[in-house]
Amino acid sequence: MSGGVVRIVARREFVERIRDKGFLISTGITLLILVVFVGAGALLAGGTSFDLGLVGPGSEPIGERIASRAGDLDIEVTLRPFDSIADAERAVREGDVDAALVDGETIVVRADPPADLVGVIQAVSARERSEGALVSAGLTPEEIEAALEQPVLPVTALEPLDRRRREYAAVGFVGVLALYGQLFAYGYWVASGVVEEKSSRVVEVLLATVRPSQLLRGKILGIGVLGLCQLALIGVVGFTATQVLGALRFPGGALGVIGIVLLWFVLGYFFYAGLFAVAGAIVPRQEDLQSTMTPLSIVIIVSLFLGIEGNRNPDSTLAIVTSLLPPSAPLVMPSRLVLGEASVLEGLLSALISVGATLALVPVATRIYSRAVLQPGKIRIRQVLRSPRGD
Amino acid sequence: MLELLGLTRRFRDIVALDDVSFSVAPGEMVGFVGPNGAGKTTAMRIALGVLQADAGEVRWRGRPVDAETRRRFGYMPEERGLYPKMRVLDHLVYLARLHGLDREDARAQAVRGTEILGVADRSSARIETLSLGNQQRVQLAAALVHRPEVLVLDEPFSGLDPVGVDVLSGVLREQASAGVPVVFSSHQLDLVERLCESVVLIHRGRIVASGRVADLREADPRRLVRVEVAGAASAWYERLPGVRVVDPLPEGAVLELDGAQPADVLDAARAAGEVRSFNVVRPSLTEIFRRAVGA
Repeated sequence: MSGGVVRIVARREFVERIRDKGFLISTGITLLILVVFVGAGALLAGGTSFDLGLVGPGSEPIGERIASRAGDLDIEVTLRPFDSIADAERAVREGDVDAALVDGETIVVRADPPADLVGVIQAVSARERSEGALVSAGLTPEEIEAALEQPVLPVTALEPLDRRRREYAAVGFVGVLALYGQLFAYGYWVASGVVEEKSSRVVEVLLATVRPSQLLRGKILGIGVLGLCQLALIGVVGFTATQVLGALRFPGGALGVIGIVLLWFVLGYFFYAGLFAVAGAIVPRQEDLQSTMTPLSIVIIVSLFLGIEGNRNPDSTLAIVTSLLPPSAPLVMPSRLVLGEASVLEGLLSALISVGATLALVPVATRIYSRAVLQPGKIRIRQVLRSPRGD
Repeated sequence: MLELLGLTRRFRDIVALDDVSFSVAPGEMVGFVGPNGAGKTTAMRIALGVLQADAGEVRWRGRPVDAETRRRFGYMPEERGLYPKMRVLDHLVYLARLHGLDREDARAQAVRGTEILGVADRSSARIETLSLGNQQRVQLAAALVHRPEVLVLDEPFSGLDPVGVDVLSGVLREQASAGVPVVFSSHQLDLVERLCESVVLIHRGRIVASGRVADLREADPRRLVRVEVAGAASAWYERLPGVRVVDPLPEGAVLELDGAQPADVLDAARAAGEVRSFNVVRPSLTEIFRRAVGA
């Protein structure tokens, strides 16, 4: 029968909140921000394409070569012929083209030369002129070819640029932010839900029917399931947006992050929920909640910074340690896992430690909650633990 | 039979209940009266398992009450409490479900409750938008929604207008006549006297009087007269020898005879003005209460 009661309590928590207009609106805003964010990311990522204006007879053939050379470098150049210098300059001024090449001799830009484009133009033009000079010097085309066709210098990057890794880190970062927001918001809901029952006195009506532990479990469960559903929705909408807007080259990473984030939300939420419930149970009114929640807030904010640091340096000792500690693990471990810095075994270990810590905390939190929830005024935890009321 | 046996409860240095025992038979309505802070709420909370006693026990049908039994009790706490943001019907359904009713039954009972208590038209309103009187009605509906076997109500009448009092009285009478033991606390002693056959009087954590109201009145040795006189000089009765004023009335008083005879009072009243009414009466519950608590 006890399971039934917990389910009924959980169901109320879920249904009453999901029907709340404020909740629906804030969820909508979150999704909107996410889509805008993804769209902006897609625009910024697509920055390596240029429009080049061409004026004068000498510009057409060199333009072709610039476009093809740029193509080799993964830069897209669209050629736009103009009839007069004035037209070309106007187009540059108005931003219709990024630069204009006049008679194959002058590059016109508005103010700040686009480095990638100008670099390609300079290289192609220099080669063109060298070729002309060599022809004048009487070299055969074969000799010219041999002189000019030098292989590009090999680049040895000490820290190789790994686009995949960079993108995984970015997606992981978004995951960390989402988890932080979600843990904070839903933890706060547990605390304020407890205070609501206390300050509205409905808790006395409830406790005449259900045990405090059942009430607490139902509340945590209902709010947690809602948090998980909302997070999953954010994940699905966010992922769909990246696909539609073409913001990601490696969508597999995003899918991995979503899965890992959902799992660590569950671990982190249950770890923190009992503590938030205690923070709520020991104060009489919502206004007093801020003070008892402060220690928890600090822990979560510090964990966020650890998570950001772990996202940047996932193989550091700090990241390894904090990805195993229950308070910070939800914000550190997902990045390490998605970047391949933590093995599945490590992830499993971290999860086990989290579950173990949660199981150890639940009875203590339930004990404090049970004794504090009917007492008026602000309550000291130590005093509550000593008082005789048991569950 | 609901029995409270030897309940004792301390809050740090304060003894809130000291060996409190009384019982309520099926179909009986018992008024639980006493001054503020006497221990009424503590006793009721213990009966509902919201608080635990340091000593003593609560029995229902001869057996100690456990959590499962308590789910069949109906309770209205003194500190009214409902979720302010929940809608009336949803709230009642929720509480009925917590008390073990299945979904369909819970819904039917919740609808019935709003109809009986006259708040059916506010079924889909949020609790916080209701007037205090209507919130009170919903609170009572909440206590009744699961067809409780026992009803324990802490100050159910406080804050109700006369119509609300009538509705509530009717509902409680109905419950009692259906065989439910009903116990409620109240400061409105005239109401208790009208509704309850029996009362339990508690003062400073101890039961100071209990039993049928009629018996308590009978047992009170005081002789009282209630006299109303029109056109008399104010407080004409104050100088009468052998008489103590118990309760001044707008045009008269309730007087305790302490040596004087009823006829002496009547003579004095006639001399003072036109006698409208003159009765030799038994002490009312209010007077018994005052005497018991030494006020």
